[in-house]
Amino acid sequence: MSFDQLTNNENAESNQHPVAPGSASGIASDALDLEVLNAFEELQLDDGSDLIVELIDLYLHDAAQRVSQIREASLATEWVLLKRAAHNLKGSSGNLGVRKVAEICQKLEWMDRQDSPEKIADLVQLLEYESAGANALLAAVRQRRLG
Amino acid sequence: MRVVIAEDDAVSRRILETLLRKWGYEVTTTLDGEAAWEVLQGSSAPSLAILDIMMPGIDGLELCRRLRQSQANVPPYIILLTATQGVSEVVKGIEAGADDYLTKPYDSDELRVRVQVGARIIELQTKLAERVQELEVALNHVKQLQGILPICSYCKKIRNDLNYWQNVESYVSDHSQAEFSHSICPSCYETTVKPQLESLHNSRPAVSDFSN
Repeated sequence: MSFDQLTNNENAESNQHPVAPGSASGIASDALDLEVLNAFEELQLDDGSDLIVELIDLYLHDAAQRVSQIREASLATEWVLLKRAAHNLKGSSGNLGVRKVAEICQKLEWMDRQDSPEKIADLVQLLEYESAGANALLAAVRQRRLG
Repeated sequence: MRVVIAEDDAVSRRILETLLRKWGYEVTTTLDGEAAWEVLQGSSAPSLAILDIMMPGIDGLELCRRLRQSQANVPPYIILLTATQGVSEVVKGIEAGADDYLTKPYDSDELRVRVQVGARIIELQTKLAERVQELEVALNHVKQLQGILPICSYCKKIRNDLNYWQNVESYVSDHSQAEFSHSICPSCYETTVKPQLESLHNSRPAVSDFSN
């Protein structure tokens, strides 16, 4: 399955996901590096389970929690908690090639006291937007693999 | 070789576990530093530890310090993992006692060769520890025959640790792996054995005495 095939298919079947206007495939390619994900094919287990599906499940569960933690921490101005959650989400996103989310998390992690609450709020909003898009793509990959 | 992973991120932990198992290592996974510390204090503790720096509770740096302060015969080889880039993090990690360091997301080939280096060093350390132990045992044998031994100036018996006077031969046998083969030196032959033989010979009746 090529990346374009995947993203076109995903756009057709998931209008409810917050896909950005304009070039959907362009945003998708920024959001998810399928080569990173496909590299795990080499590590597939002999027990018949699909490691990539397992990793996507773990990520989707984790990412939802982390994004929620980041949002709550930003509202409560708990910067330590926010940075910690952003750090964790950056790590797991980087591992699966969820690039855009990893980039935003890195920006959040590097925020300091001089950054305005508005700037942080904007970044959190962007994170939620990008995370939802990446999660939709991952869910599509998962669905495709399960046949 | 046994490896323990301490990683609170489920995705990273699963990837790491899968990679290591694929490369033939026996893997124990833990979710935080406290659990990893307990595993590493066990009787058959893993010899290689891959620790995430940022974890709830005991973090990777603190765990490194604890492991270096413990008196393990062969301390574990520690590889630290972090998602934070920067020299200061590397310096902190190495100062805390880590042997190596990788930044996430890492290249799996790089991880593989770094783990191999760790395995090689552990093997060398284990061999070295075994050799030191052998030498210590050998040194103990040597020490048993060192120091001042009270010996009788006349009969040459030695007073042992229990305050008994013991024959030199049995004392040395008890305190070393030496064995004795008995013979007579030329000096003793001249001064002791020869006179005795002559005395014996002289005390015999002459053959001519029985001739009649």
